[in-house]
Parts: sequence; structure tokens; C-alpha cells
Amino acid sequence: MNGPVLLIVLPLLTAFLLPIIYRLMPLAGRLTGPLILVVTSIIGLTQLQHLGDDTLAIAMGGFPPPLGISLYIDRLALAFALAVTLGTLLLWPKASGDNPDSRPGSLSLILAGAGCGLALSGDLFNVYVFYELVAVATYGLVAGRGTTAACTASVRYLIISGFGAAMALIGIALIYNATGTLNLAHLAELAPSRLNNGQGLAAFVLLLIGFGVKAELFPVNTWVPEVYATASSRLTALLAGVVSKLALLIVLRLLVLLFPQPEAHLLMLVLGILGVVSGELAAWRARDLNRLLAYSSIGQLGIMFIAFSMPGQAAILAGLAVALHHLIAKPALFLLAERWGGSVQGLSGAAENSPVAAVLFILLSLSLIGVPPFPSFWAKLLVLLELARQAQPLYFLGAAVILAGAALEANYLFRVVSRLYTPDAAQPVPEPQRLPELARAGMLGAVLVASIFVISPINNQLEQLADQASDTQRYISTVNPRVTP
Amino acid sequence: MIIPDSNTLLLIAALGLILIGIGGMVLSLHLLRIIFGLALLESGANLLLILATYSDRSVAPIIVGGKIPAHMADPIPQALVLTAIVIGVAVLALALSLALRIQRAYGTLDVRELRARLDQDIAAEAGINLPHSQDAPRSPAVVNAPGGAS
Repeated sequence: MNGPVLLIVLPLLTAFLLPIIYRLMPLAGRLTGPLILVVTSIIGLTQLQHLGDDTLAIAMGGFPPPLGISLYIDRLALAFALAVTLGTLLLWPKASGDNPDSRPGSLSLILAGAGCGLALSGDLFNVYVFYELVAVATYGLVAGRGTTAACTASVRYLIISGFGAAMALIGIALIYNATGTLNLAHLAELAPSRLNNGQGLAAFVLLLIGFGVKAELFPVNTWVPEVYATASSRLTALLAGVVSKLALLIVLRLLVLLFPQPEAHLLMLVLGILGVVSGELAAWRARDLNRLLAYSSIGQLGIMFIAFSMPGQAAILAGLAVALHHLIAKPALFLLAERWGGSVQGLSGAAENSPVAAVLFILLSLSLIGVPPFPSFWAKLLVLLELARQAQPLYFLGAAVILAGAALEANYLFRVVSRLYTPDAAQPVPEPQRLPELARAGMLGAVLVASIFVISPINNQLEQLADQASDTQRYISTVNPRVTP
Repeated sequence: MIIPDSNTLLLIAALGLILIGIGGMVLSLHLLRIIFGLALLESGANLLLILATYSDRSVAPIIVGGKIPAHMADPIPQALVLTAIVIGVAVLALALSLALRIQRAYGTLDVRELRARLDQDIAAEAGINLPHSQDAPRSPAVVNAPGGAS
């Protein structure tokens, strides 16, 4: 019953104990963090198995829902919590030589715990607190590299993110003013009568700006290229792969539970289209691999916003499919950029030294573009079919933009690939990939290739997830059993 | 002359703080002023959250001697704002310490210059010749600045 709470509590508790453990026994300190994440992953997996088709609400501290803070556990939330834990484990920061430093480990654990909290929380203000906790952990991790460029990128990120958080807080104030509650289930009950007006819409816009900062939403994503170019590649992989999806999950929950108005959907659609256009064009123009991948990630997140901007569970399924693919493919690409992060020009003939990495890069690029056997083809097809079914001009524009974006993606990714295979006599061949990065990227690539053969079961699983996620009545009656559906 | 009641006045104050904060963040070119703008914006947001249920007749929500007072203030927003203030203070401290480090390394806190230096450092690390980069239009300040001093 209380297993899901451990997903949040264990990493947070360990994060604050880690400096002490490091001081007493440096070796144990180095092992503790990953070990705790392994334990929490196992807890998460057993919970997921245990949960089955059920949904569960936990009233924290025994205070019943409208008053106390509640956690809402369905398969979508647990899957995201598991993704955060496993992602942090896979992308655990590198041990820095002989000078043991507990800070990166502590911050990563805070990120994992707060990320799980974000996924599981059923209370708007609690979501805000966990969101800020994730944000503060990432500021520290970005600046932790120590270079002045990293500090500058971190402080610029902090300012945008702080602005977003203040906007979200104003949005929360508007919602509290209209309804007098912040419990998501209670809000979902009151939303049709209290939030279906101008005040509700204003609150949604403010919350979208607030949570959109981490989800790389169009106007508030200027931090993305700077941070991704200065942070370590593992952190970049974690931010682009996992943290952005978490913020997206919050936006999805808010949209489904509180704001089913067509205007809210339309705003997301327009911002998503602008995100795809700006991201893909900027990636096409970028001259170094890190920023190219960063801009391309903005474009991919734009596709997810477009998908979630459509009503109905088929749209949620499509968006989740794109998110799942990006969750696996983008971190692998960023891991390869650890060695190849420099200018694309300088990559000439890199395939000579690291043939496996070059093949992996081609596989991942093909998958990102959406070439048929790969899962991204299926994901993008779902989005396009759903867009076509809406039969409205703006949605057709969205479909056109996604297709054009895929063409641009093919152009700039193949430009990199062709560089990899054309040696340039005037330049030295880049050094071979390091094994730890290559092994991790290879693991993610293998998952991607394996998923080609099980698309149909994955599709069924995601369909059930989307079914649960779009069921507002179920959310309300799970948290608050007094209300009969 | 119409004298607005205290609630309206406070609401105007909250909106004013928010607008001043946003204005400061958008219009200032000095990193420190932008951070102060953020602090003002956060205070405005906090005040707005308190005002969601505030009335000047209400009393603290404490039951004294078994009697429930007639106008109790809603304690939830106040608890929330307390949390928000703590988060705000922590973020502010982090921002200031980062600003201090940047000032020591770059010798400036002008955001235009910081942005140019950041672009330059990223380009230097990636091995790109910046003056021809399309990301940064050629400007004398960028070209003449010493590269990547830290």
C-alpha cells in the first residue's frame, strides 16, 4: 500500500545522508546512490505489477483528500516514476577521479525523488513544490561542471525557470480564488462549473508557461541550447529525455482534468506548431552536434504538444508513443555527442575510429526521422492519423508542419552521417568513443531495435495507459470514493 | 472621491509588484537587477495567493476555549505561501552565488556581454570559428573580446 511513497522518500532521504556517508566511507558513498536507485526501481516494478488495471490514491498522513495531500497512482504515473528512476540510474554522474565529491550524487538523487513525486502527486501545490525541487537540483547539476560558461547557462536557465515558476504560482492563486481547493480530483469535480470561463483560461495559460519551461515549450525554451551545450552529456541526456517528459505529463494531467476547453487545446496546438517550426529550422542551421540535438529536441517536444492538443484518448496514445520513443532515442544520441559534441565539420571520418558508434548513430537518426520499421514511424503515423481525423484547417497545418519537420530532420541528421563517413585529409580523425558512453547508448539502441518486433503489444499497453489517463471520472472517484461515478 | 477598501488596495499592490517584477526582468540589462525583478515578481505572486481568501475582518484560525470565531482566515494559502517564500529565498541565494562566480570570472554582469561570452565559450569548446557563425551576427564587441578567459 505504501510502496509508491518509498519511490519519493528513499532517494530524498539518501540524498541528504550522502555527504555524511561520503565523509565516513568514500567507497560506500560512491555505491550508495546507484544502489538506492536499484532498490527503488525494483519497488517501482513490483508496484507496477501489483497494480494491474487498478488505480490507487494514497492520502498522505491519513488526512482524507480535499484537505490532505494525496498521491494518485495509475500505470501512467508509475511508468513515469520508473522512467525517472531508471534514467537517473543509467545516467548516473561520472565519479570525479580521486577527489570524492558527494554533491552530484546528492543532486541526482533529489532529481530522482522529486521527479517521482511530480509524477505521482495529486495536488496542484505539491506539484509546484516538486517541480521547483527538480528545477533547483538541475540548476546545481548544470553549474556543477564548474566552468564559467556552465554557471552562466545555469543562471540564465534559473531566471527563465524562476519566471515560469512565478507565473505558475499566479495561476495557482487564480485557481484557488475560483475554487477554494488545490486537490486535482476535487478541482476536476469543480472545473466544469468554476473553471470553464475566462479566469480558468487565464490560469491555464499561466500554468502552461510555468510548466512549459521544463517541457521546452516554444516561447520559454531559450535555455535549451545553452544548457545542453555546456552541461555534461549525461545530464543533457537526462534533461532532454526524462525531465522534459515529466513536465509534459503535468501539462497533460492539467489539460485532461481541469481544462477541457477548446481554447486551451487550440493554444497548445499553436505553441506546438511554433515549437516544431522553430526547433527544426534552428537545428537545420546549427553547426555543432550538441546544439543540433538540443534544437531537434525542441522540435520533437513540439510534436508531443501538437498530439496532446487534440481531445480524446487516441490523441493521448499518439502523444505518449512519440514521448516514449523520444525518451529512449534522444538520450542515446546525446551520449554519443559526449565525444562528438564539437562542430559537425570536425567529425570528418569519425566512423573510422568508432565504427560501432557510427552505425548506432545512423540507426538512431533513422528512428528519429521516422523511417518505417522503427517505432517512431508508428508514433508519428498515429499523430498524423489523429490530426487528419480532426478535419480542421489548423490541425491540417499541424500535420503539414510535422511532415516538413521530418524532411528537415532527415536533411540535417544525414548531413552529420555523411560527415562521419567522409575522411578529410586536412583534419585529424576524432578520437574513438569512450566505452561507458557507447555501452549506455548501445543499450538504449538495442531497446529501440527490440521494440520494432513488439510494437503491437506496446501499442496495446499504451492504449490502456491512455484509456486510464483520459478517464476523469475514474480519477475523481479513486481519490474521493464518496463521489459515485 | 471613491476610497477603495483595503482588499482592493492590496490587490492593486500585488498586481503592481508583479508588473514591476516582470518589467524589471524584461527591461534591465544588469543580471543583479533581473534577479531583483524576479524577487519582486515572486513577492507579488505570493501576495496574490494570500489575497485569494483574505479579508480584513478575519482572525487567525485558532479555536480558543471551544468557541469557533465567526470569520476565520483560510489557513491553506498561508501555509502554501510560507512554502513558496522558502523556495524563493533558496533560489534567490543560489542565483546570487552564481552571479558572484560569473562576476569574478567574466568581470561583468551585463547580460548582453554575458550572452556574447557564453556563445563564444560554447563555440570555442565546439571548435567553431565564431565570427562567421550564423548564430551570432558580427558585432565589434564580440569579435574583439578576448576569447574564453576564465
